[in-house]
Amino acid sequence: MLFQGQYWFNGTHADRVKRLTAEFDGKHKLFSYNHEVYQLAPIVGFLYKRKADPNRENGSDTSIFAEQMSNYKDIFQFNYQLIMLLDAYNSTDFDTRVDKAFRIYGTEQAIPDEDLYEAYVRGGVDVLYEKLIEPSISPEDYTKNLYEFMEDFELRYGQNADEILDLCRLAMD
Amino acid sequence: MLLKSLKVKDFRQFKGEQTIVFADDSQKNVTVIMGDNGTGKTTLAQAFTWCLYGETDFDDKILLCKATSKDMIPGDTEKVRAELSLTHNGIEYTVISEQLYRKTERGSIDPVGQRKFTIMYKQAGQQEYVKESQLDGRMKEILPPELARYFFFDGERITRMSKRLSQGKGDEFARAVRSLLGLDAFTAAIDHLRKTVKDYDKQYDVNSDSHIADYNQQISMLDTEIARLDDLLARLDLEETPVAEKIDELQALIEKNKMSSGLAEKKKKLIARRNALVEQKSRNIGALLSVFKQAPSYFAKRMMRDSLQLLKDANKTEKSVPFVNAQTIRHLIERGRCICGSKVCNGNDAFIELTNLYNYVPPKSIGDSIIDFCDKCKEKVRNSESMFSDFEAKYADVCAFDTDYTEVLQEISDIEKQLLGMDDVGKLQADLMRYQTHRRRLQSDRVSLNGDKRVKETDRDRAETERDKLTLKDENNRRVMIYKAYAQYMYDSLRELYAEQEKLIREQLESTVNAIFHDILGEGFSLTLSEKYDVQVVLNESGGSSETSTAQNISIIFAFIAGVIQMARKSQGDDSGLLVSEPYPLVMDAPLSSFDKTRIQTVCDVLPKIAEQVIVFIKDADGEIAEEYLADCIGKRLTFNVANGSKIETYVS
Repeated sequence: MLFQGQYWFNGTHADRVKRLTAEFDGKHKLFSYNHEVYQLAPIVGFLYKRKADPNRENGSDTSIFAEQMSNYKDIFQFNYQLIMLLDAYNSTDFDTRVDKAFRIYGTEQAIPDEDLYEAYVRGGVDVLYEKLIEPSISPEDYTKNLYEFMEDFELRYGQNADEILDLCRLAMD
Repeated sequence: MLLKSLKVKDFRQFKGEQTIVFADDSQKNVTVIMGDNGTGKTTLAQAFTWCLYGETDFDDKILLCKATSKDMIPGDTEKVRAELSLTHNGIEYTVISEQLYRKTERGSIDPVGQRKFTIMYKQAGQQEYVKESQLDGRMKEILPPELARYFFFDGERITRMSKRLSQGKGDEFARAVRSLLGLDAFTAAIDHLRKTVKDYDKQYDVNSDSHIADYNQQISMLDTEIARLDDLLARLDLEETPVAEKIDELQALIEKNKMSSGLAEKKKKLIARRNALVEQKSRNIGALLSVFKQAPSYFAKRMMRDSLQLLKDANKTEKSVPFVNAQTIRHLIERGRCICGSKVCNGNDAFIELTNLYNYVPPKSIGDSIIDFCDKCKEKVRNSESMFSDFEAKYADVCAFDTDYTEVLQEISDIEKQLLGMDDVGKLQADLMRYQTHRRRLQSDRVSLNGDKRVKETDRDRAETERDKLTLKDENNRRVMIYKAYAQYMYDSLRELYAEQEKLIREQLESTVNAIFHDILGEGFSLTLSEKYDVQVVLNESGGSSETSTAQNISIIFAFIAGVIQMARKSQGDDSGLLVSEPYPLVMDAPLSSFDKTRIQTVCDVLPKIAEQVIVFIKDADGEIAEEYLADCIGKRLTFNVANGSKIETYVS
């Protein structure tokens, strides 16, 4: 079952996660821990429409301990629900997507959905690596690319918080 | 001494036999030798000293022409030869030096035997040879080696010597001046008389009174002791001179580098500022990344909005009973009583109501999960509400650093450029203190040695008085005493006369040298000459000592050489008989391009007038200048040409 026990990144994705969590100026890291990458990667993967198959190139791997998986499970689960609710490509019927998000999580039936989620995680790792690490040469480049990534995201997907809070209220009325 | 010709064979880069004939006409007395650097001007100046004294300054002691040795096969021998024809004291001399070289089996060149030295002269039309045992003596008579160096100059020597003179180290020059101006005869007579006075002490008849012998022994011991103390004092002087020079040098450096301590302080502050900026940047990056930790919520905002919109549109937020699930209802039915207290039994109203509720509670209803989802959306949106603006602000802080940092780095680099070539004043001060301590120690040693010396001198004088009293009693001894008194009187008179003459010569030299110096450099500067012939350049307006420039240095040496030679020429005509001298040629590198036009004019005017014969080496580039200013005096023109651009073959044309 997803989000239970130790989680492993493998192959190129493990290498990229290592780079994303490495010190870039001898002191600072873009992501302090692997679980921070795991919190952001599925959202980025989904929004940038990037999925990636697993691989075991270089025999590289890196993991998130079970305890940390458990500590941040609510965040991971929330991300899972968001993706399930919005993944119209794999399932056009919204009722089915609501069931995937809230009813059948953790059952045998959910295994293909979990695979899809994992593909987005890996796709997100690739996007983060390409945007933040690959074009950086000097320590200054890392913060500059991070800012440009944020700026680009704000332009593409920037949201008014009030609108969302209104929707929350309406949804719960 | 006038030079007639120099014939060299395979000497360094002069391949084969080559002859240089010098101008010796009284009007056209200048020989100009042109050649660029490396063509052999210095070599020719060295050929004179090798021919006369067997000495050269070359690192490579093999004098055989490289071009010649290349053509030799192992076992071959070749001779290097220099033959100088000159006149001295009306006699024609030919001085020849020869050295044989052999090529070994390994291909190296080795000298065979010693330099062969020959001096020939013409007497009554007859060629005579100076006997081997008299060679050195005769050479000294023609031109003593210690003086030769003041007449054969290359450019490097001029710079070196003028620097020594301007640093106040004229001792060597003083000796040269005394020799050239004939004061040597005085010093020889004075030395002889000093020895004579001492010799009389030994002639006392010690048998007349045994105490005389005791006193003699005592006096001799005290003299030895005084001589030893004098020696120690002289050594102290020798030791103190460089220390004093170092102290002067350090004081001048400290004065010059005063500004560096202010700059160093400023640099220290800037480095602290730079480090603080780096720290601040690090903190700002930390703050930026800390804001980035909200990224998962911020990035999910769009997805939250879309999900919530879909849920709202599909009316999925159906009615539900919060925190109640199917198990709760099952429990109430089994219990037979509702929370409100109504009895629940199969088919009654309460039972029907509770059974209907099954449709609105989990697992059949997902309302709770959706409410939970909405709550999470609300919380995440609130948490990340200002994330992007915070992030932008922190990034601006990080970027602000760059401008400040670049400015500080630029300032540090500017200061470092200014500090380049300046010394650390703190270190200089420490060195200065060390040298000052050393000098104080030497000075205190001197005071103590002088005290000892005075004691010994008093003892010796007392012993002499006592001995003289005793010697008066014996007639023979009384006679010796009278002779000694005469000798002592002669010695004192001659010393006095010498001091007067020497002072006069020094004053004459100072005024002669100054006249020439003024001709070259104008009236703005003057030279002063101390008793030790130390030279100081004085600014005429302020009277203070001035730092010497390169042109000044060269002018000083020109003025000195010219002055001494001019005086030597004059003294030759003196009938006083005390100052005997011979005119000498001046062979020197004339760095004409070091001077501006007016000074070139003066140098060119002065040179041919002061020496009976002038041989100048100039660069090809200075050829036109020499022609323009020296044309009337040039008796011979020669050019050194290198063969095929090679540095090992030069030909005279």
